[in-house]
Amino acid sequence: MNYTIIKLFQSYNALKNVQKVAFSSNTTNNMDTTYMEIPLYDVEKQQPLEKRKARLHYQSRKRGMLENDLLLSTFAKKYLNGFNEKQTMMYDRLINSPSNDWDIFYWIVEKKPTPKEFDNEIMNLLKKHAKNEDKIALRQPDLH
Amino acid sequence: MSALMKAAVSRSPASLASYLYRNIHVAASGATSKDASVTTNMTKAYTVIDHKHDALVIGAGGAGLRAAFGLVQEGFKTAVVTKLFPTRSHTVAAQGGINAALGNMEEDSWLWHMYDTVKGSDWLGDQDAIHYMTKEAPHAVIELDNYGMPFSRTPEGKIYQRAFGGQSLKFGKGGQAHRCCAVADRTGHSLLHTLYGQSLRYDCEYFIEYFALDLLMEDGVCKGCIAINLEDGTLHRFQAKNTILATGGTGRSYFSCTSAHTCTGDGTAMAARVGLQNEDMEFVQFHPTGIYGAGCLMTEGCRGEGGFLVNSKGERFMERYAPVAKDLASRDVVSRAMTVEIMEGRGCGPEKDHVHLQLHHLPPEQLKQRLPGISETAMIFAGVDVTKEPIPVLPTVHYNMGGTPTNFRGEVITHRGGADRVVAGLLAAGEASCASVHGANRLGANSLLDIVVFGRACALTVADTARPGDPQPPLAPTTGEASIANLDSIRYANGSISTADLRLRMQKCMQKNAAVFRQKSTLEEGQRQIHEIYKQIKDVKVSDRSLIWNSDLVETLELQNLLINSVQIVEGALAREESRGAHAREDFKTRRDEYDYSKPLEGQSKLPFEQHWRKHTLAETDPATGDTRLTYRPVIDRTLDAAECSTVPPVIRTY
Repeated sequence: MNYTIIKLFQSYNALKNVQKVAFSSNTTNNMDTTYMEIPLYDVEKQQPLEKRKARLHYQSRKRGMLENDLLLSTFAKKYLNGFNEKQTMMYDRLINSPSNDWDIFYWIVEKKPTPKEFDNEIMNLLKKHAKNEDKIALRQPDLH
Repeated sequence: MSALMKAAVSRSPASLASYLYRNIHVAASGATSKDASVTTNMTKAYTVIDHKHDALVIGAGGAGLRAAFGLVQEGFKTAVVTKLFPTRSHTVAAQGGINAALGNMEEDSWLWHMYDTVKGSDWLGDQDAIHYMTKEAPHAVIELDNYGMPFSRTPEGKIYQRAFGGQSLKFGKGGQAHRCCAVADRTGHSLLHTLYGQSLRYDCEYFIEYFALDLLMEDGVCKGCIAINLEDGTLHRFQAKNTILATGGTGRSYFSCTSAHTCTGDGTAMAARVGLQNEDMEFVQFHPTGIYGAGCLMTEGCRGEGGFLVNSKGERFMERYAPVAKDLASRDVVSRAMTVEIMEGRGCGPEKDHVHLQLHHLPPEQLKQRLPGISETAMIFAGVDVTKEPIPVLPTVHYNMGGTPTNFRGEVITHRGGADRVVAGLLAAGEASCASVHGANRLGANSLLDIVVFGRACALTVADTARPGDPQPPLAPTTGEASIANLDSIRYANGSISTADLRLRMQKCMQKNAAVFRQKSTLEEGQRQIHEIYKQIKDVKVSDRSLIWNSDLVETLELQNLLINSVQIVEGALAREESRGAHAREDFKTRRDEYDYSKPLEGQSKLPFEQHWRKHTLAETDPATGDTRLTYRPVIDRTLDAAECSTVPPVIRTY
């Protein structure tokens, strides 16, 4: 009985999250490939700040491509531990909401304009960090 | 009841399962750590939760997602275990495209694509698998199109196809073929996004940010895997009638690679730990110019626009190695030249371990206009201003042709006593597997094709051999115990070498001794060093004891996996005394096949199996010691249907 209820809620949640699927037979180059809704990572879930930061360190070091690995892991090593709760949430939303890691990269290197919801002090700090004013060769930092 | 409902609504299915277990004592099916039959005290210290599904997919990249989607479409209750959010798998980095002989740009035939792939593989690819892949390619691409993947179109609305290296028409005689289908420059991301979204419309359960520790085997049959939930530190035994390994490559074995830091050969190591063999591990594809330390690629376009490579003496050394083509010689020639310069002491930098790519002699306007991304990449990742200084570069690992061997249906096989035998319950797809379609060298845009076709093949094979709801006897309570013991020992490791140091040692050893330039003396040195480094894992130090979001713990487990892969690469390279595809030996510069194909075959007698090298390497490693045993398996030359597609006979490969 409990199991059935659980299954019902699982399906309900899954359906809630997958909202719209468009079958496209006449798409063009300009089509946004994120048209299909996929469930977002649950950034808003309650958790202690320490645990959130530990997760963000893991997620900064493990991205879809090397460029983001290097930029985000070096950024996290430098700044994450010093962030307050609000700043940590901004960083969490930034690295966990977009579906395409390349988008995050293009916003950081200013190849594409940053969307309004991510245009904040954390993004500005990231952009400055990426400019590599200290002119060092990037390598993933040691954990300790 | 309302507390339960509240919990159900706010949690993911996976965390709901563990919440229920802990708070309401609803017993999930199978043994748990509260069961008195669990023997060791250690296992009692860890919460273990059991799950049962029809199928399990490990890895949520292109191959894993395609397999998962195929399975749930056929009605199989499927679990997907992944250490990353699906759209953050390394497939997202792929910007090229998928090769398929759709014939939208010109008349095309999959037979020509098959020929190109066999030739590209330097006749080490299994022609039945290549036949399968190239024949199924158009169907696979059209299916993806129907699932909503927004391919770039021609003005008439057909899928647009572009040219890519190594693709020809009319068996190499008809000029460049245009068969690469892409979604602008985000094919990889689009593939993941589409498949993830589609799979969720069916009964597909994702266990995201779960790190798979080991495969669960009982009597030689694969029953699933055991994984740790990084969010709360609980362990999970996933039982399934069929498991699909889709964990990607092992680029991080080397100091310089273009792969993300997630590419740590987890699946091939898991297979090795349960006594399975890995095939052709020594075949590693290199790109000549990756930024030193970072690994990001500096495109060939730099050299195409007039940039050139210099050594520590400031000499444009390519003039010596390729007097005509100079810096635009083929990739393997350039990579080898760079390595020779480094080995002969003319490398740059304090460790003399790289060379320089010089662009500052070019007019800044030309750099800005023709190579806009380069200046940025060089500054961001190397801290170099290309208008003033050279960029430090070295040959960089790009792809692993080897992996866990499968037949053309995706079933994992072992080769013992001269015969291939399927491992019950286990399949593999993608870079983690070796079908083998890429043989000794992979062609561009064939990798995305490989993952889609063989992910689909695994799903079709499971649909053929099993039915949703097939009964599965419960797992023995001790299955998975060894993995928990290993996890525990790594978690409390208190030796003298940090994970980062040991990993760097391994990567530098591989880069120095088993990279582009291979010869007996340096490979033997590499073999000696890698075994020493392997044993040093017992002396590793992990600084964080937590089970929750412990990057140190995860990276140490990944290092265990990398070490197994690295040992197999070095041993395979040392033993293989020939040059074929991406494996080039200075001391054995030619291919050694069963006949000498550079001369007419008449009058030649066929060399016995032990005396030639047109065969697959199979490596088995004892995880406790690193000792590796090599055996060999013949290349499959016959195609699936000789009437439809004839075997491409070996010839000397020239482009």
